[in-house]
Amino acid sequence: MLLGRYLNSTHRVCQNGSRSGNKGAPELTKLYMHGYTNRRAVWLIPRTASIVSRLASIIIAMLSRATRLLGLTIFSLALLAADLSAQGFANRGPQPPQPPRTARQAAPNDLTGYWVSVVTEDWKYRMVNANKGDYAGLPLTDAARRAADSWDPATDPDPVEDCRNYGAPNIMRQPGRIHITWQDDQTLKLETDAGSQTRVFSFESSQRAGGGWQGVSRAAWDSVPGGRGPVLTGSLKVVTTQIKPGFIRSDGVPYSANATLTEYLDRVDFPDGNTYLVVTSTLDDPAYLSAPYMTAVHFRKEADGSGWKPAACR
Amino acid sequence: MRASLFQIVGAGLLSAALATAQDPAAAGNGGGAFAPFRPPASGSGADVSGTWMLGGHQDVAYGTAAGALVDYGGIPFNEAGRLFALAWPASRQTLRTEQCAGYTVPYAFYSPGNYRFWEERDPHNQRLIAIHMYFQTSEVNRTIWMDGRPHPPAWAPHTFAGFSTGEWKNNILQITTTHLKHGYVRGNGASQSDEATVYEALIRHGDRLTYLAETVDPVWLDGPFSKTVIDVRNVLDPTAWLYACEDGEEITSRPDTQIPHYLWGKHPFLREYADKAHQPLLAALGGAETTTPEFREKLKNKAALDAAAMALTVPAKIPEQSSRAAAEEPNDGQIHILPVQGRVYLLTGDGANIAVQVGDEGAFVVDTGAGKLTDKVIAAIATLTPRRVQFILNTSFHADHTGGNAKLAAAGEDPSLPGSFFANAFPGAGGVATLMAQNNVLIRMQKAGAPAASVPQDTYLSERRRKWHNGEGIDMFYMPGASTDGDTIVHFRQADVIATGDIVDMTKYPVIDLKNGGSIQGEIDALTRILQLTVYRHDEDGGTMIIPGHGRVSDEYDVGEYREMLSIIRDRVQTAIDSGATVDLIKAARVTADYDTRFGATTGPWTTDMFIEAVYNSLKRR
Repeated sequence: MLLGRYLNSTHRVCQNGSRSGNKGAPELTKLYMHGYTNRRAVWLIPRTASIVSRLASIIIAMLSRATRLLGLTIFSLALLAADLSAQGFANRGPQPPQPPRTARQAAPNDLTGYWVSVVTEDWKYRMVNANKGDYAGLPLTDAARRAADSWDPATDPDPVEDCRNYGAPNIMRQPGRIHITWQDDQTLKLETDAGSQTRVFSFESSQRAGGGWQGVSRAAWDSVPGGRGPVLTGSLKVVTTQIKPGFIRSDGVPYSANATLTEYLDRVDFPDGNTYLVVTSTLDDPAYLSAPYMTAVHFRKEADGSGWKPAACR
Repeated sequence: MRASLFQIVGAGLLSAALATAQDPAAAGNGGGAFAPFRPPASGSGADVSGTWMLGGHQDVAYGTAAGALVDYGGIPFNEAGRLFALAWPASRQTLRTEQCAGYTVPYAFYSPGNYRFWEERDPHNQRLIAIHMYFQTSEVNRTIWMDGRPHPPAWAPHTFAGFSTGEWKNNILQITTTHLKHGYVRGNGASQSDEATVYEALIRHGDRLTYLAETVDPVWLDGPFSKTVIDVRNVLDPTAWLYACEDGEEITSRPDTQIPHYLWGKHPFLREYADKAHQPLLAALGGAETTTPEFREKLKNKAALDAAAMALTVPAKIPEQSSRAAAEEPNDGQIHILPVQGRVYLLTGDGANIAVQVGDEGAFVVDTGAGKLTDKVIAAIATLTPRRVQFILNTSFHADHTGGNAKLAAAGEDPSLPGSFFANAFPGAGGVATLMAQNNVLIRMQKAGAPAASVPQDTYLSERRRKWHNGEGIDMFYMPGASTDGDTIVHFRQADVIATGDIVDMTKYPVIDLKNGGSIQGEIDALTRILQLTVYRHDEDGGTMIIPGHGRVSDEYDVGEYREMLSIIRDRVQTAIDSGATVDLIKAARVTADYDTRFGATTGPWTTDMFIEAVYNSLKRR
């Protein structure tokens, strides 16, 4: 599947829309590749062309290239004029070094404030306790199943109070509120009232001690390659490791100390005035997961902290 | 000299590129010094082109055609939404108009298979016009307009894909969709209405796409219903299956007018899911509170939960509710024209809908509105054809359908009459447009003392009248005892448009004029007759288009839904009559509670109470 935009080549590949929407087989007949200076159709079905028409195409293409060369020259001159004008034909001298922007200054959007979880995804696992042995949707290893099977609701603590359900891989799925603040210019703090947990998202690479329920989180404003270097996507990317082992589902489904949690936090402002924080998570755990476990949850922005009700876990 | 010119050009290019690259503020998302354009309307953002499929790790029980009955936890139903779902048995899907129904968003995103996105750009300036989507399951082809165009008016038809516009905000593709049909939010009857607006956000993280949708539905939801799904990019298998659905007879012994439904309070599987999942019934019944953290606390008080739950399974003892639907008829003193199909147009703004067919001959007009804006109606028709109105057919004698008869007829002519043998018997024949109707319209209007110039004289008595006009066959079918005893539906056969008069009313419950020969069963039979004439184009979208007596342009699916509603209400009232209930008790029982927020009225010329009385008396007469 090639559709999309590609950088450097700055080419875009799009379909002709020729996949039939009719009842016939949806055959792809043609792809277009569109660059800044040319456009090319790639036929995916046998197509005949006479020698005359091929020659005609070549001549037209040569003429077209000549025209483009002329256009490029004019374009370059225009750029030169603009550049010289911007410089004022003057030697501006060395610019004073600019201090690097802090994470707070570089924030592409504001994630701070109070947010309340909207419990609509995996409702039956989040709002009520999962039934023992219900592992639907989880890519578990045999070791994980064995460990989860040993969980006993009669003897294990109530999942609502059990801190093993409030580790980083599961904390965002707990019904509750979160409060996000800047602890300092390089550190975001995320507190939860459910389980009374605190997550610290550091934008600096200094190592800190892990081993707690929330592990060690390294944060960065997410970026993708651009034509002139990385371009911010608008997401906050958080990678958390060194997490104290706990549960990813309330029926005792475990994650291990070697789990790595990768999260993206995105703010969405809808036209109806509602603002959401979407948390997209991928959990990798070589011990207990046979594949990355992907989930998303979301929170709605609240005006203040009036709904904040901390409840510690045990 | 020449060498220096190239050096200058080269240096200029390099310098400009470097200057821009060093300026973060100038660096856009994928744009920059060499970017040939930056579309102003939609901006630019993450490219979602390609093929994606469901990640499959969350909500695994809620994919297509899945979900147990009475498993509504996390759905912010209002009372009407919950009651609609509680009346819904899975066998509703066996109805012909339901078998191939498409999927609306966001439900379509919960279905298996590929979702393909591709861009449509203007070939001359590369501006983004639209992003297209293809949902493999149910073959929904969707267009997300990125060129800033407005949404259609409220009287335009609805589809399963709806009408979508999009823009990028912070690299996130945000979409607003209106004009949706009634669709499911979970495969167990839990629904969003045709009044829903869906806001969506597509957030790309590499080869993953997080989808957030917020459904705002004033009819069946108590607040916004937001939900996420994760899709993964399907790089190697972008193909899609076809959804070769064709409806057929699934229950051969069941009459068309018998609609499967559960009576409230008698759901045979009410507790099945809750018991199996070890959930309190209250949790399984959904509601806005089930989406909040506070609900977890409430679940601890198990003793109080069951009583609270049972109260939610029947209509509450509260006053009747009115429609929360957006007005589907303009009220700005203007006549609005909407092309429907072929050469048939809708004119709306003056009481009942007016249908106009144009062509080489004079216009054929169905109904003339309330008569308050007839001059503007005439002017509007003049923009569609240089010819005058030749035929006018009244679907009913009611004043909002015949109010403009005299004036519109006077502005028209019937050139088929002068010089014919009719002219011998009726001197001056053809000097005005010919007014037609079923004969009872004439009788009712004369009885009411209507001016002679407004009374249709060219009437018919039999089941069908027909005419070839403006290059197509026009069928006029008599619908006895429906809204009145003189109802006609008009089928423009080539355009494939049916003007139904008040047999279909998308703004309220149908007016059943008992005193003038209407009946609930005649109404349901008439809807069934209409459905025998319709053909959908694809998965219950399009094909034969319907111009109702009031409200938006519709199609077969909408008529099917309307018939389902009336059949279910008929059954509820009949059951109450059989148990000895009086009409006042039936009204108090709120037997229309699931539909009132869409079609109900507590004031105005046709209230819910009047409708229930008409149904009651109609059934008592049988």
